[in-house]
Amino acid sequence: MNRYDVIIVGAGAGGGVAAGVLAEAGKRVLLLERGKQLQFENDPHDHLRHQRFSRHGHNAGPDIEDHPRVAVDAQGEVRVVRPHEAGYQNNAAVVGGGTRVYGAQAWRFLPQDFRMASTYGILTGSSLADWPISYEDLEPYYERVEWEIGVAGDGAASARHWHRNKGFPLPPLPVNKQGQALRAGASKLGWETLPIPALINTAPYNTRPACIQCQYCVGFTCPVDAKNGTHNTLIARALATGRCDLITHAMVFRIDTEISGHVTGVSYYDRAGNLQSAEADVVICAGGAIETARLLLNSTSPQHSHGLGNQHDQVGRNLQGHYYPAAIGLMPEPVYDGIGPGISTATIQFNHGNKDVIGGAMLANEFIELPVIFLSRQLPPDLPRWGIANKQFMRENYTRVMRVTGPVQEIPSQEARVTIDSSVRDRWGIPVARLSGTTHAETVRTAAFMFERAKEWLQASGAIRVWGEPPGLYLSGGQHQAGTCRMGNDPQTSVVDKWGRVHGHDNLFVADGSVHVTNGGFNPVLTILALAFRTAEHIEEIW
Amino acid sequence: MLTSNHWNTLRSLMNRIIPQDDFPDAWEAGVGEYLARQFEQDLKPQVETYELGLEALEEESQATAGKDFVALDAAKQDEILSRIEAGQILSSWQVNPTEFFHMVIEHVMEGYYSDSGNGGNRSSISWKMIGFEGGE
Repeated sequence: MNRYDVIIVGAGAGGGVAAGVLAEAGKRVLLLERGKQLQFENDPHDHLRHQRFSRHGHNAGPDIEDHPRVAVDAQGEVRVVRPHEAGYQNNAAVVGGGTRVYGAQAWRFLPQDFRMASTYGILTGSSLADWPISYEDLEPYYERVEWEIGVAGDGAASARHWHRNKGFPLPPLPVNKQGQALRAGASKLGWETLPIPALINTAPYNTRPACIQCQYCVGFTCPVDAKNGTHNTLIARALATGRCDLITHAMVFRIDTEISGHVTGVSYYDRAGNLQSAEADVVICAGGAIETARLLLNSTSPQHSHGLGNQHDQVGRNLQGHYYPAAIGLMPEPVYDGIGPGISTATIQFNHGNKDVIGGAMLANEFIELPVIFLSRQLPPDLPRWGIANKQFMRENYTRVMRVTGPVQEIPSQEARVTIDSSVRDRWGIPVARLSGTTHAETVRTAAFMFERAKEWLQASGAIRVWGEPPGLYLSGGQHQAGTCRMGNDPQTSVVDKWGRVHGHDNLFVADGSVHVTNGGFNPVLTILALAFRTAEHIEEIW
Repeated sequence: MLTSNHWNTLRSLMNRIIPQDDFPDAWEAGVGEYLARQFEQDLKPQVETYELGLEALEEESQATAGKDFVALDAAKQDEILSRIEAGQILSSWQVNPTEFFHMVIEHVMEGYYSDSGNGGNRSSISWKMIGFEGGE
């Protein structure tokens, strides 16, 4: 039997941070990851198989055949889906998790994002709630993420919207042609813009080089290791202590407990398929909002027949991601300049304070669009899908089209949830996650409002034609998955306390997007990282 | 497995989806190689649909124009394809004509516009055409 101080399930954003903090605090850490180590050398620029566009597979796991899920769509149709297929709500499963291949937008949530119920009231059919912590509680940890993992941004522009004690360690991303056009448009509208903060080395930092501005940022590994994730920061630091064992291809299927609810360790299958067990004083779940919920629900025992932390049927509920209403504009001149990552300019004018809608979204221009992605979603609806007209449009307008979109803060629903489907098993015979329900209908209204703002911005920026469709009602999750083990003071309506500790289990924690009560109108990774710092520091203090 | 007759029809079909101008058509850019490779991998489950759809396209061509699809001029081919896209067919199809055509469009576009590592987009020619700079 292997004995550790801490076992962490999942080496992504949250798990990676927890491993680094706790190993450096002197703890013996076992970090278990079901995926592999993904190296740039083994990550060809395959346009049809990567995390951003997985038409025929993907680069960052999980393995396509080994990890099915059951997806129930808004019409109630039930399908068994593979990780690269629609409805799966995939997130990367490699060392570093999503941070290995992400676009690395590094947004703090706004103070109101932690007080959504107080700001907007309780809505029928929604589980909208306040967080048990405030922006101010998290601010020092946001700063730690920005400095220890490395964020490029404009401190003065950021300080106009967020209280912050320190600037960014790295200068902002360059303003590209799209950014210039959008700045001019925003200025006409009287909107404020700011450079998109990113976990990217815009200058050498942390002993690694600067970004070379290639066209393959989001969805791929960085060719020069200038994209900052947990794999090249906190996990590397954990391993450097000599106190952290990282085991890849480890499929954890159960958290082991005593009658009292005290956790004793985990059981998993190793790479060869052999059953393994490990013991620890503390277990941290960090598999992402879907797999963490699945693990807790699958960890049944006679005393915990509905799984761990699930006395009140809360585990797996409130699954949320982000709606991305997008407007697409045809510009009179080329706005493509090939400068990666391509994201440049944002406005947070409409994250809150909008008339008659709840919440809102940050809006920004897009990453450089690979041609196949452009074809799949950037063409005008009346353009023939084939023939010379289609080819001519691509020839003339690939460089002239730009997309404005942003993550709409979802209004959570208890019915958007992860449950277990025992009739479908993965390669190891473990019952899989079943995803059902949709976001609250109010999210669709907010998305429609943001779609109009995106159109307005493109028009003011000189677009000669603007198109797109506001989204309908569906379940989201995907790379921004959150909410399934929400944080709260009341065990009847939440799964973990304000430190991330699972109610009813003194030594079981969650450190991933699962704990988000609401998911902000921003990319959530900076918040996941900051919360993991806070939870890990708390564990360090009490153990 | 697609026969040489299937391939002849498919070649004509893909070249109407992406015709030649001063940049190459689909076949010339290597989309045939892309599909041949994919029929052994990800598109294996769709091979039968391809066979049935390509045969139906030839029957449709005979019913409409009294000739093989490959023997028609481009304008006539486009006319037949437009009707197939709209579901307006004369012959009996064992696959849904609109869905079949849209599936082929999707795959041909993948071959033409994705990286040449997938077998198509020879010398990254489509990227040069549109101005995308992520070449090898």
